Amino acid sequence: MKNKWIISAIVLGLSFFIAIYFAKPIGVSTQFSVLSGKAHQIVHDIVSDEPLIVENDGYHSINAYYDKSDGKIAKNIMNLNNYGILFFISIFIGAFLGKILLKRNTSESYKRKLNKKRVLISFISGALLLYGARFAGGCTSGHMMSGMMQSSVSGFVFAFFVFLIAIPVAIGGEGK
Amino acid sequence: MIKPILLGLFFGFSLYYVGANNFHNILDMLRLRNMTLGKIIFFAIGFAAFLTGLTAELGLLNIDHFSVKPMHLGVILGGLIFGIGFGMIGRCPGTCPAAIGSGDLRDAVIAFIGGLFGAFLFSISYKNLDNLGIFQKMDFGKISLFQISNKYDSIFHLGHSGLILMGIIFMILAYLIPMEIRK
Repeated sequence: MKNKWIISAIVLGLSFFIAIYFAKPIGVSTQFSVLSGKAHQIVHDIVSDEPLIVENDGYHSINAYYDKSDGKIAKNIMNLNNYGILFFISIFIGAFLGKILLKRNTSESYKRKLNKKRVLISFISGALLLYGARFAGGCTSGHMMSGMMQSSVSGFVFAFFVFLIAIPVAIGGEGK
Repeated sequence: MIKPILLGLFFGFSLYYVGANNFHNILDMLRLRNMTLGKIIFFAIGFAAFLTGLTAELGLLNIDHFSVKPMHLGVILGGLIFGIGFGMIGRCPGTCPAAIGSGDLRDAVIAFIGGLFGAFLFSISYKNLDNLGIFQKMDFGKISLFQISNKYDSIFHLGHSGLILMGIIFMILAYLIPMEIRK
C-alpha cells in the first residue's frame, strides 16, 4: 500500500496523545540521569562520609543538578519505583512485544560484527546524545515530539538545531 | 502505577511499529535518501497536536497535563551536541531502549551505556554550566506558540484551536514531503 506510512504515523501520534491525555507528555532522557545518578549515589556513599542525597523535609543533594527543582531528580534516584522509570522499562518490553506480535524480519541489521571502532563510535555517540539532551532539557521524544505537539517554542528550537547538525553529520558519515 | 506501564508499552510498541528501532531508517532519513520515517514523525506530531487541541477545546483534556519546557541557550547548545550523536549513529534516547528490547543486543547496548555516562557527565558539570549563566541567556521561560494553559506565556492570541490548526498544517506538510530528496 502506497500510504502505509500514514497508519504508522497515526500509531506513533496516538502514543503521544494518550500519554498527555491520561497522564503527562512523553519524556525519556531524564531517566538516564536518574539511573546514572543511582550508580553515582551508590559509589559516592561507599567512598565518602557525606551522603550524596539526604531526605530531610524533601530531598536534597550536594549535586546541584539532582538538587534542582526541589530535589526532583534526587527524589527519583532514592525512589526508583516511580512513574518515569516504570515508563522507561516498559519501552523495552513494548518493543519486544512488537517484535513478537509483528514478526517482522529485522534480525538482518542486528547481525553486524562489532569491531573496536564501532564500539567506540557507539559509546561516544550515546554520551553526546544524553549530554546534549540533558543540557537542552529533553530529547527527540520530550523536547521535539511532545514539545512541538503542544506548540512549545523550546521544542521547535531544539528540533531545528538537532537537524541542522545531524543531517550534515549523517551525510558526511555515509559509506564509512 | 499501571498507567506508566501501559503507556510505556504502547510507546515502545509504536517505536518498533514505525521502524524507529532500526538505526538504518533514521540514518536514511537524516541522509535525505528515504524520508518515510521523517514523514511519519512529522505527521505523528501533527496528529497528536490535532487530537490534543481538539480534546482540550471540547473540555475533555485536563489542561494541567500540558507541560512546556523552558527556552534558554542550553536548548540550542544541547540540541547541537545531541545532533552530532544523532547523526553519528541514528539513535536517540527513546529508540535505543526500543532497539535493545527488540533484540539489538550489540551496539545499541554500547550506546545505552554511553548514554548513561553522558547523562552522568552532565549531572556533574551542571553547576559549572549554571555558573557560566548559560541557562539565563536567551531565557524566554516556558513559552508556547498558542495559549494552551494559563501556566504558560504564548506568542499568539489563539487558544487550543491553534493546536488543531497547526496539527492539520503539519499533517498536510508531512504528506507533501517527497519520499526521496537525495538520490
